[in-house]
Amino acid sequence: MIDVEKVKNEFQKDIANISSIDENTILHIKYLGRNGLINKLLAEIKNKPDLEKKAYGLQVNLTKKIIEEGINIKTKELSSKKSNVFFDKTLPGKIYPKGSLHVVSLAIEEITKIFEKIGFIRVSYPEVDWEYGAFESLNIPSQHPARDDVETSFIDVPAHPTLGKMVLTPHTSNGQNKEMKRVEKPKIRMINISKCYRPNWDAIHTPMFYQFEGLCIDQNINITNLKGTLDYFAEMYFGKGTRTRLRPHHFQFTEPSFEVDVTCTVCQGKAKKNGVKCKVCKSGWLELGGTGIVHPNVLKEGKIDPKKYSGWAFGFGIERVIMMKYGLDDIRNYYSGDIRFLEQF
Amino acid sequence: MNIKITHNWLLEYLDTDASPDEIREYLSLCGPSIESVEKMGDDYVYDIEVISNRIDYASVLGIAREAAAILPMFGKKVKLLKDYLSKSNCQSVKSELKLEIQDSKNLCPRKLAVVMDVKVSQSPGNIKNRLEACGIRSLNNIIDVTNYVMLETGHPTHVFDFDRVKTGKIIVRKAKTGEKITTLDGKEYILNSNDIVFDDGSGRIIDLPGIMGLKNSVVTEKTKRIIFWIETNDPKAIRQTSMRLGIRTVAASINEKNPDPSAAAFALLKGIEFYKKIASAKIISPIYDTNPQSEKQKTIDFDYKIFKKIIGVEIDKKTINNILTRLGFKIISSKILVPSHREHDISISEDLVEEVARVYGYRNIPSVLQPAVYVEQPKEMEDIFVFQNKIKLLLKHLGLNEMINYSMVSKDQLINFGLDPKKHLRLSNTLSEDIEYLRTCLTISLLKNIKENTGKKEMMKLFEIGKVYLPKNGELPDEVYKIGIATNTDYFDLKGIIEAIYKELNILDPSVPEITEIDGVFLAEINLQELINNSRSFPTYKPINPYAVIKLDKTFDLEGVSRIAPTTYAEIEHKAFKSKLLQKIVVKSLYQNKLTLRFYYSSSERNITEKEAKEELDKV
Repeated sequence: MIDVEKVKNEFQKDIANISSIDENTILHIKYLGRNGLINKLLAEIKNKPDLEKKAYGLQVNLTKKIIEEGINIKTKELSSKKSNVFFDKTLPGKIYPKGSLHVVSLAIEEITKIFEKIGFIRVSYPEVDWEYGAFESLNIPSQHPARDDVETSFIDVPAHPTLGKMVLTPHTSNGQNKEMKRVEKPKIRMINISKCYRPNWDAIHTPMFYQFEGLCIDQNINITNLKGTLDYFAEMYFGKGTRTRLRPHHFQFTEPSFEVDVTCTVCQGKAKKNGVKCKVCKSGWLELGGTGIVHPNVLKEGKIDPKKYSGWAFGFGIERVIMMKYGLDDIRNYYSGDIRFLEQF
Repeated sequence: MNIKITHNWLLEYLDTDASPDEIREYLSLCGPSIESVEKMGDDYVYDIEVISNRIDYASVLGIAREAAAILPMFGKKVKLLKDYLSKSNCQSVKSELKLEIQDSKNLCPRKLAVVMDVKVSQSPGNIKNRLEACGIRSLNNIIDVTNYVMLETGHPTHVFDFDRVKTGKIIVRKAKTGEKITTLDGKEYILNSNDIVFDDGSGRIIDLPGIMGLKNSVVTEKTKRIIFWIETNDPKAIRQTSMRLGIRTVAASINEKNPDPSAAAFALLKGIEFYKKIASAKIISPIYDTNPQSEKQKTIDFDYKIFKKIIGVEIDKKTINNILTRLGFKIISSKILVPSHREHDISISEDLVEEVARVYGYRNIPSVLQPAVYVEQPKEMEDIFVFQNKIKLLLKHLGLNEMINYSMVSKDQLINFGLDPKKHLRLSNTLSEDIEYLRTCLTISLLKNIKENTGKKEMMKLFEIGKVYLPKNGELPDEVYKIGIATNTDYFDLKGIIEAIYKELNILDPSVPEITEIDGVFLAEINLQELINNSRSFPTYKPINPYAVIKLDKTFDLEGVSRIAPTTYAEIEHKAFKSKLLQKIVVKSLYQNKLTLRFYYSSSERNITEKEAKEELDKV
């Protein structure tokens, strides 16, 4: 026969001897658990005469409260003390799924945001185009040796009567003419990021790659604005203090044309790292890509009056800027689908 | 293309106090890109990139001209040496020996030639070393002079064995389709009617002009008399023939880019000088020049305002004039006379701006971001990018790995995937059969990814968002953005991923795309635009229901033997939702074919009783 008073007394004795959280937990189970003494006392209620039932119930509940309080106080007292069960907080936490985004996706987001801040909109244009879009609209006539610089993948379908053969676009510049015709009347602030294709496949070329193309057309756009934008991009993407320089070059669709270099991300343009010649850049500079002032023939082809408007354009490789910034230099890994490479990002 | 020249060679045309390193740096900033300068003995070798419109600087003389214009901007002393176009010591001789040159269709606009007695030997060491430092193999003095002169003057030259030409005739004509030639390196080629050849008058082809000499007329050790020959070419014809036959000589790469015809005359004189010097040459024929350069120079109208317009800052007129003059232009009020070596490159006033700006120095032009303006992004383009990004992030956080595959797949891949290669666009000049056809679905690539990664990772859940290319007759293909997903787990894993996308985009009542299984890989593909069209930017809001919810569990026998018609979850769901009190159903467990569901009943108007709920459930 179980007795309320006895339980109470036993608890007082037990609680006095507790010296750890773990013992306290055991005590909790002993008195307040599902098969604990309190529940056992409550179960006795059915054996009590009807008249005593109410008083008995109250008595048990009171005892339960005392025990709960006692345990609570003790818990607070002991909570500063360590548990006796070995707790290894250096074990890893619960594992949540961690996927990955492609390194190119990450760069595209980063670049898009940088240009969004200065009012450029990202556009989407076809990757499969006619020769007109890839070349003629960019002032590159057929048979021109400059077409060698952008070797082309052709599609095996009959040529269009006026627009030429069907090609995979070798550069994002095919978006220039399309954007001019879409907007009709400048202002143009375009960033065109897309897959491009050229028949090259070796350690530093893949037959598919990404470019991002900037195009800015408005009244009074000149070289100072191109330089301003390139400096802005270089600092935002490669980090504060990165400088750019322009060198003369030739592209059919810009005049003047330049190649842009940025200060080497490894040696910060000093050409030396720890006293030895920088292995990455050799001269303190890394080549970023091609740019220039939009050729008047390209504006005319886009139905824009070159007397009223002028603009600049650039086209850079996404893989190249990733390589320059993060040193991921084997670009064949990008599109080979090897999970061991891709899941790291 | 790249050329190599040496510093000492350059100094034969240029007097300067600039060091090789300074020349490399300053020229690269303002003109020809000098990729490297390397010390070799007591000389330095420059490796120079020649861009396609500047064939005029593919020579020692050309680089000297550029240096003379550029170096003064860096405070360097510089002077172009020699009146290099003088005709000293090249007197024509009166002679019985004559060449007959015919070109009735004017296929080679200017032809220059002279016949000389020579002695074949090795070139002297300095010539040999210089050529080899510049990456050209020294053969004998007769051949070496042609290369040396080409590198020095920028114009390709050629030499025939006069006695092997036999007839003394050189007739320029189009080849007949099917005619065969053997080039001097012993390779055979079959010509067509677009190719231009030299005939010796007997129908025998003796040269593929501007591209490569032929075996039957090339000089040998036994050669006694040579025709030193230079012609100018139709650049398009050179390019077509050279590309089609795959003969990419230095001469062809120069001739297809319109070299300066006056450089041809200079090259002839230089060649004669060298043959006299190193091959004991004696001129034994008249000196031929079929089309001496006219004095007419190309002119461009220009206005000084254009410099400020494009450069963005004022450069004073005097500086502009100085730069242009140093580059060989002549300024006559608002007209500019273009020097012959720049005739094909400079045609509009924008070209003059480039000349001035590059020599003035891009480094001296300030950097100013253009004023910000608002430009509206077309909604459909914005959506494509915003949704792509949203879905990419969701899938990444669900533990999927993003792939970007080549847009092209192989024929075998298509056939194994049950697709008809004929219904795909094919690349006519593919590098590899692996990337020959433009894909019309993404899952074909993802299946390959999972197969190729087997053993590298146990559980794989991959996705790709990209375009597929659906062919259209006579038009560009439809480029459609798709989301492809592949897992090697199970059907419900993939279905759950798709449902998560729908939930993220607040798509109600989604029709889940078909999920296919191939060798344990589960595949699905969703059209991105359709997702965008069905999505809602904000979920449908329901006020919080203050009344009690009754939860009831019930177990069903799916496709049980005890039943005549098989039961599916969809059927149960359909029946259960006939009750207006049912809020939702959750799958509790599936054990063999025993499906336990939990039903949530509630009313938004009052508290319902367990009994009411049970009655509703009993109807299911």
